[in-house]
Amino acid sequence: MKFLRPPVSDRPFAIGIPAIIWQVLFFYIPLLIIVLTSFLKTTPNGIVGITFEKIAHFINPLYLRVIGSSLVLAFINVILCFLIAYPLAYFIAFKGRKIKNFLLFLLLIPFWTNFLLHVYAWFYVLERHGFLNNILLQIGLIKTPLILLNTNFAIIIMMVYYYLPFMVLPIYTSLERFNTSLIEASFDLGATWLQTFRRIILPLTMRGVRAGFFLVYIPSFGEFAIPSLMGGDKVMFVGNVVSEYILGEGTGSLGAAFMVVSCFVLLVSAVFFYWLLGRFTEPVRDRG
Amino acid sequence: MAEKGKFNTHQRSAIFGKAGHLLLIASTYLFLWVPIVVLLVFSFNEESFPSPWKGFTLQWYVELIDSVYLWKAFMNSLIVALSATFISVMMGIFLIFFAAQGGRVGRYLNLFYGSIIIPETVLAVSLLGFFSLISISLGLTTLIIGHTVLGLGFVIPMVYARFQDLDYRLTEASLVLGATPLQTFFKVTLPMLRPSLITSALLVFIISFDDFILTYFCAGSSVQTLSLYILSMIRSGISPVVNALSALLLFMSSLMALVYFQLSNRSKIF
Repeated sequence: MKFLRPPVSDRPFAIGIPAIIWQVLFFYIPLLIIVLTSFLKTTPNGIVGITFEKIAHFINPLYLRVIGSSLVLAFINVILCFLIAYPLAYFIAFKGRKIKNFLLFLLLIPFWTNFLLHVYAWFYVLERHGFLNNILLQIGLIKTPLILLNTNFAIIIMMVYYYLPFMVLPIYTSLERFNTSLIEASFDLGATWLQTFRRIILPLTMRGVRAGFFLVYIPSFGEFAIPSLMGGDKVMFVGNVVSEYILGEGTGSLGAAFMVVSCFVLLVSAVFFYWLLGRFTEPVRDRG
Repeated sequence: MAEKGKFNTHQRSAIFGKAGHLLLIASTYLFLWVPIVVLLVFSFNEESFPSPWKGFTLQWYVELIDSVYLWKAFMNSLIVALSATFISVMMGIFLIFFAAQGGRVGRYLNLFYGSIIIPETVLAVSLLGFFSLISISLGLTTLIIGHTVLGLGFVIPMVYARFQDLDYRLTEASLVLGATPLQTFFKVTLPMLRPSLITSALLVFIISFDDFILTYFCAGSSVQTLSLYILSMIRSGISPVVNALSALLLFMSSLMALVYFQLSNRSKIF
């Protein structure tokens, strides 16, 4: 019972307000301005009207392909992260025992170090004379060094490397809260491992999976540093195109328009995945 | 409730067997750590990559310590990260204070999830447009503003969640025993929130210190942070000084991760 609450008054609201003002002023207003600039027609004299030209400029196969490759990149990344992260989170949560925190620690340190250094570290591994080629040559799997840098392979490796902890941590958190006697009950009632996973463990940890999914999917869509550093700018992604327009002379509002178009696509795909993942949350009904 | 990690079902739990699972975990950790170890090893190599191992040296560390630009960039990153952490945590405390006085914060809370659901690139680009519109020149101030927005997205949800989990009876007891709301807040509520305040502060510090995307857009041409410095070094080719720098930064983040774990799990790692 909560009858002894301090008196509610509007006076302390002034104290709560800085955070709200900051968030609105430096987050929502800039976003709104960007959206508006992509629809406003401007001349040196000021705003003269509303236009859809800038948006329409980007509705063509060339730019749609850029958006498409960002979607594909984000999707591949999120799937690979999930496939690696789930067994890892499962292991740490249920079988980590005494080394549980140590395993989490080992996962967090790379995550907490400047990511450009990881890009740099991967140069050492993927270089023509790098670590991976040396190993493969030594064991005789290949005769000549492979070209690994500046390929899509390098982009994917780096993306998974960087985003993996974003997927592991939410899944780990939901597995940690998981009541393991449910798994035992499921086995005792004769379910196989796969049935138990599909119908008990996965649906009950779906919150974590969903959080991880969006924590990885959304930023990977806008990523521009990894593709340009690891992929040698061969394939253009949304982030690269936007940053080129924005940092270019006088093309700022075009960049804004392209960002609005691609964010719209991102939003639609995110809503779709949200719905899709929600379907897994409902336990599958049995025939009997 | 069964004790975690003790249920005896791994014999059956095998989709690819227990050994397979262990192998998978081991290779994941190899994947995470091999690049770092290779990087660290080459920070002690006498000759620059791609030459193979020649001999042990500390010359790259000496060069690192002597590098003026690097420390300037380091200081800039430190200033931005500390300020953004301080501002966002303070504003977080203020908001919680308001909530503790009975203010209804719930409806404003959703505002702060915005920075999680849009890519950071979008926020960075919007802020850049905003700053040029109101003609604030880019520099440390704009970086601090942007990083504080990132920070609020972590501090407020984390601290508020902890605030909601607090045992309200303690607050009540304090009020019944005659403490004023102000005393109650500073002597009861705030100390109970301390772990979550410190962990979220650490997180904001790390995020700001390592941030690249927002910094890339909002730093302007006059200010260089550590991320931008590393980028320029990488662009200009491989240099063992970067390896030495990595060793230093890894050491720093390990220390912070240790503190984080001590506070958030209340259990030791080793």
